[in-house]
Amino acid sequence: MMDNMQQQFIEAGTLMLAGMVFVFAFLGVLIVFINTVLAKLSVKFPDPIVVPHSRPNKKSKSTTNGDISPAVVAAISGAVKRYRSQHGQDK
Amino acid sequence: MDSLIKLWLSTGLANFELGQIVMMLVGWGLLYLAIARNFEPLLLLPMGFGAILTNIPIAGFSEVGGLLHYIYYAGIDTGIFPLIIFMGVGAMTDFGALIANPKTLLLGAAAQFGIFATLFGAIALNYVPGIEFTLKDASAIAIIGGADGPTAIFLASKLAPELLGAIAVAAYSYMALVPIIQPPIMRALTTEEERKIEMKQLRPVTKIEKIIFPLGVLMMTIFFLPSATPLVGMFCLGNLMRESGVVDRLSTTAQNELINITTIFLGLGVGSKLSAEAFLNVETLGILGLGAVAFSIGTASGVLMAKTMNKLSKDPINPLIGAAGVSAVPMAARVANKVGLEANPHNFLLMHAMGPNVAGVLGSAVAAGILLALVGS
Repeated sequence: MMDNMQQQFIEAGTLMLAGMVFVFAFLGVLIVFINTVLAKLSVKFPDPIVVPHSRPNKKSKSTTNGDISPAVVAAISGAVKRYRSQHGQDK
Repeated sequence: MDSLIKLWLSTGLANFELGQIVMMLVGWGLLYLAIARNFEPLLLLPMGFGAILTNIPIAGFSEVGGLLHYIYYAGIDTGIFPLIIFMGVGAMTDFGALIANPKTLLLGAAAQFGIFATLFGAIALNYVPGIEFTLKDASAIAIIGGADGPTAIFLASKLAPELLGAIAVAAYSYMALVPIIQPPIMRALTTEEERKIEMKQLRPVTKIEKIIFPLGVLMMTIFFLPSATPLVGMFCLGNLMRESGVVDRLSTTAQNELINITTIFLGLGVGSKLSAEAFLNVETLGILGLGAVAFSIGTASGVLMAKTMNKLSKDPINPLIGAAGVSAVPMAARVANKVGLEANPHNFLLMHAMGPNVAGVLGSAVAAGILLALVGS
């Protein structure tokens, strides 16, 4: 009986040691993961800045009055944007 | 006359055994705690009712052919119900505070000491005559210290199904008692000055981080601890549904209808384990006692870890948030916030405490995985 108890205590102790070491190691690796991978990702892919919807809506309204479809406006403004950014980079 | 005797013999009154009456009273007690005291009512109400149903003489709710028998074997014996609930919890969890301050993961890890220390306690209880806990039993009892209902039920159903009723009752009762158990320990281990510490505001967390986080956790679990993947996997699935933003319908279902339906059946199924022969013994008293010890040690080690980190780190850390490492989301975080406000009325610790709080959920799932891996087979 006593031997058996001692045996169980030793097992419980090993389990405690292994368990705590593992929990700390696992969550420690997770910290490293957050500090490296996630931190890099957040810099590379920042959340898009939310543009208020009212302005583009108004614009598209006025352009439809002028008989230009929103798709064309989008294409043109996209091209202008790209030109400007390339132009800016050249400078 | 014969038929009258037959009729009498088919009544509950003629067939009651003392144990059944006592267990029905326990069921009534759980209903009282749920309705009058608002203790974890979502689970304790169906659980209390299940306890009453299962102890009805003749009706045979928990025998083959009875409703509760099938609910138990379909959902709890297989581990399905706690896992579905864990998915819902994942869908409700925002890891933002944790990602913004990843150091708090260490607090969630430290608080798991409550689990492993209780293992010792459970084995030591074998000195008490009438109690005989194997290492499996002890592990299932110790997980109460994880303060996480579904994890405790999952592990108990795998390691010690015969103790499940008592373990579930202890786990949920103590989770409801977090606001009473924790504050004295927190105050005893911290100074007034430490409780006043204000923490730096958390940085904003981007969407991509929140999406990649559950995937990263899943991959790590796959690599290092596959035995925890049922729990962690379902948790991450729920969380990914929430954060991806493309399956709002699934996410809403997981955190509302699905978790609610499952909770009803989980409660009933656990209640069906509250039979006289399984519950009315010295071991139950031992389990209830050990549960309280596990909670207290978990709280204390979380606070002590936070104290140490405060001394070593350049950013101040209020030791109170360490107590939230025992999971019990979000109650433990609210308790940390409340105790903090008592010391400094302008100090809102809630968001800071959410970090260790959700870290505690991960920590106890990992601890459960370790116990399953080392003791389970």
